[in-house]
Amino acid sequence: MELDDLKGFINQELIKDSPEMSEHNIANLLKGKAVSVISKIKKSLWFEIICCILVAIGFIYIALFTNRDSIKIYFGFFGAAFIPFTWVFFYLLKKIKEFDNSVLPVKENLKQLVQVLEEFTKRYFQFNMALLPICFLFAFVLGYNEKAPVNELDKLQALFKNHETIYLALIIAYTAVMFFALIYMTKWYIKKLYGNYISQLKLLLTELKDE
Amino acid sequence: MNATEQAFIQLLNQHQKIIHKVCNLYLHGQTDKEDLFQEITLQAWKAYTQFRGEAKFSTWLYRVALNTAITYFRKDKKQAFIASVADLPEMAHSIERDPIEEKSKAMYAAIANLSKIDKAIVMLYLEDYSYAEISDVIGITANNIAVKMNRIKVKLREATLKNFETV
Repeated sequence: MELDDLKGFINQELIKDSPEMSEHNIANLLKGKAVSVISKIKKSLWFEIICCILVAIGFIYIALFTNRDSIKIYFGFFGAAFIPFTWVFFYLLKKIKEFDNSVLPVKENLKQLVQVLEEFTKRYFQFNMALLPICFLFAFVLGYNEKAPVNELDKLQALFKNHETIYLALIIAYTAVMFFALIYMTKWYIKKLYGNYISQLKLLLTELKDE
Repeated sequence: MNATEQAFIQLLNQHQKIIHKVCNLYLHGQTDKEDLFQEITLQAWKAYTQFRGEAKFSTWLYRVALNTAITYFRKDKKQAFIASVADLPEMAHSIERDPIEEKSKAMYAAIANLSKIDKAIVMLYLEDYSYAEISDVIGITANNIAVKMNRIKVKLREATLKNFETV
């Protein structure tokens, strides 16, 4: 028995037991919230944008009103760095909104969805990683050259008074461990959020390759 | 409610069978189907401002519905939902067996176990869309659709036979 012989039956089967929606039901559905991955990314981007704005304001405020030079440079630099980040997040949001409102053929839709997700995860990772070396380098250089007393560091230094090399080695080792742990954690987090979904979409795309 | 919203609701109401068909083909649980129905409705509403009437509303809605269903993955839930014809409720308890009906149900079970992309192609084929029209919705050439459809038919024939024999 062929598919063509059973068209009528299958079409019937596909609508069997489906509750007929009234116009009122449909109007109510429009008040709901979307749960698609794009909606999730949009929420995530709004969260990032709000965080970036708050961090930029907070950091610049600290930089302006602190007496310590190292804190002034550190927070001033990071406060300023969050301004272009906010702009890039807004750009990504605009691109995602454009995609979200379009109705493309299945293959093109999958392609663009993969592109949007990869772009988002790439930028997200880059932002996190770009801050890391600057953050550690600044903390290291500025902390090392800070003239004003920093009690916690001074106590630690006193412990290694005659072993400055060991003291420096410990700080470098601590920095390296933190650095690589943060890279690993960020990669793991992004993969957990979007990695598996992207792989599933790519698998669907391979089915649509030209033959 | 403004005029655009009213027009959209009326159109969707007239074509709601399309969304029901897609939900029934792609998901099994009633709650999941309802969630997908709402998601498709919302996606269609968001995109409705871009609908210029160049294509038929039904074809446009199929695009929205299939795009949503294909990219819709539920966490920790199995996607395949009918392992064999015996899983179909009426079949499990039927005493007097009508071979035609059983074969039809075996075919339905076979379709339900196709990949997401193949399901989309079959769904449009069942609606008597031409290969050119299916190609517009799916985004691959009509020749490719024809090749795929032939393969799907063979796959379905074999799976139907297997499903039928297991009852």
